[in-house]
Parts: sequence; C-alpha cells; structure tokens
Amino acid sequence: MISCQTFRANLQPGTHDADLLEHLRRCDSCLDFAVQVDPDTFFRALGGDELVPPGGVDAFVGDVMAQVRSRETETATEPRRTFTNMRRLAIAATVAAAVSTGLVVSNHRSAQAPVGVPMAVLKRPLVTKPIVETYESNNATIIEVPSEAKDDVQVVMIFDESLPVDL
Amino acid sequence: MIPTKDSLEPDDRQLVETIRRGDDSAFEQLVRRKTSKVYSLCYRIIGNAEDAKDISQLVFIKLWENLEKYDPRYAFDTWLYRMVTNVAIDFLRNKQSRDNAVNSNLRLVKTAADAEQTVTVQRKEVESVFNAVSSVLSPKQKTIFVMSEMDDLRSSEIAKILGCRESTVRNHLFNARKLMQQQLKQRFPEYSRLWEESR
Repeated sequence: MISCQTFRANLQPGTHDADLLEHLRRCDSCLDFAVQVDPDTFFRALGGDELVPPGGVDAFVGDVMAQVRSRETETATEPRRTFTNMRRLAIAATVAAAVSTGLVVSNHRSAQAPVGVPMAVLKRPLVTKPIVETYESNNATIIEVPSEAKDDVQVVMIFDESLPVDL
Repeated sequence: MIPTKDSLEPDDRQLVETIRRGDDSAFEQLVRRKTSKVYSLCYRIIGNAEDAKDISQLVFIKLWENLEKYDPRYAFDTWLYRMVTNVAIDFLRNKQSRDNAVNSNLRLVKTAADAEQTVTVQRKEVESVFNAVSSVLSPKQKTIFVMSEMDDLRSSEIAKILGCRESTVRNHLFNARKLMQQQLKQRFPEYSRLWEESR
C-alpha cells in the first residue's frame, strides 16, 4: 500500500487509480482528508475488500451444496410431466371430441322423446358411439374417467405424442 | 483465471464445463471461488448481512439451475454479476414496497445545529449514512452506484452486466449522486457541508 504522503500528494477528484483507492479504503487517517478533497470519495471508502458471509465461507458453501443436493433429489424423484405443444393440442382435441360427442348424443335422444311419455320411461341408458373404437400404440396412455352413474357419458382420454391433432 | 505453470486451478469456463458433465465437486469449487465476490456485492446492495447471505445462496442455486444457459463466449463473471443484480434488485423491490407500506412517514431529520459541528469522517459511520441515504434510490440506481463506486466497475462493464446502454448507466449514476446529496442535506447536514465547502 502506498504511503499517506504519496496518497495525499496524488489524490485528485474523481480518481480511478487503484493504489489511491486501496489506500483510501484502508487508511482511517486519510479518509477525512480525502473527503475534503473530493466529497464523492465519501462512499467510495466502503468498497474494495471482499467480504465474508456470516458463519464463514465453509459453512456458506456447505449450505449451498446441501440445497443443491436436496433439489437434485427432488428432481430425480419427480415424474416428468413435460408435454410438447403438439401433444397438448392432441390431448385437448381428444377430450373435447369425447365430451361433445357425448353431449350431442344425449341432446339428440332428449329431443326425440315423445310428448306425454312419463320421465321414468324417458330415462333410458345413453348409448354413445365412440370416435376411436380401437387404438393401438406402444406409447399411448389411455385413461378412462370413472362414471358416477351407470348411464353417464363415458369419457376416455388418450395421451399419445403421435396422435393427430385433427382426430 | 487462466491456468499457469504455477497454478493447476481450472478457470471459470473449464469449471462450468466440468459441472455440465455432472461433477458436483466442480460446482462446490466454483461456489467457494465466487462466494466472497457474490456476497460482497449483495451486502453492499442490500445493506444487511443476513439478507445478503440468503440472497447470495439463492444466486448460487439459480446459477446451478441455469448453468446450461451460460454461453462460454462471454465472461463468466459478467453472467454471474447479472444474476446477482437481478436477484438483489428483485429483493430490494419487494423490500422497498414492504417498507414503504410500514414506514412511509418515518424520516430521521437532523437539526440545523448539527450542521455546525466539525466533521470528522468515521468509516463505520459512512456505512450507516450510506444505508440511510441510499434508501431513496431505486433498486437499479443503488445497484449501479454500488458497482461503480464500491466495486470500481466501469460504466461499460456495468452496461454489459445489466444489458443496457452505457449512457443509461451514466444517467442512473448522475441521478443517484444527486438524490443522495439531497438526502445528506436533509438528514445528515454535517456531512452535506463537505460538498458545499469543496465547491
């Protein structure tokens, strides 16, 4: 570190000289002098040194690594649920097609009901013709949504990356 | 750091490559190497040791999660500093909105009589004065001020870190100085006299 004499002789307002800044940050007796020469050095006095986190570097690094390992474990145990946009569209199209087919068939049956027929007679089991009657794929996941009642519309979802969007 | 005959330490880019190949111990080495640098910047921006420690740890977790995105054509420290400033600025924004809600009317104002006292600058006090007057700065202004005045980074380097123009950095610096001088005048008149005397 340069001497106080050199520092005081060379200090100019707005200095970027590394030696002068180092002295400014280490020498208490010169701080007051420096601020009189250039008030903007007032806050520059705070810089320079690399600080150590509370508890020390070892403890800090240990904490970070523990968090990293815990996240690694979480990532490894979490099932992958990433879908491509195409796959999302295919899933949405399949579900929408299945639900709307069920509704159309249901409405059609209601509209055909003869006037004056008691409700008990009208309540016939709903028969829908599935859009996909057979499906073969090694990658597909097929989920059947459980029905609450025997006559409910049966919804079946097919998850398959190769399923066409315009099914 | 470039390895020399005296040092077999891998440089930052080599360490990142090793980590990408799945070596956790290389990541530990990188964290150890950068801890003081990251913590110092966080502490100076945030002004509180415990918060700075938490934020620094968060930076390293984000670093680990995003290491695949690092482009080795650019300096690793620039990328790291960008991450630090993003996390610290987010933290300050949240903290400022919380503090504003609670302490909107609390202001320490010193009397004119205090201004007449002879000023002897005490290093310890400079820190508390900085923490007080810098509270009026926006998180970005404060970050730029700290990087320029305390980390001695040039405007061009700060611009690279923040992904903005150099003129924007200089504007933020100018405004930060102006705002802090106003605050000094209002809250620490004994120090604000230093600026008046030197002109």
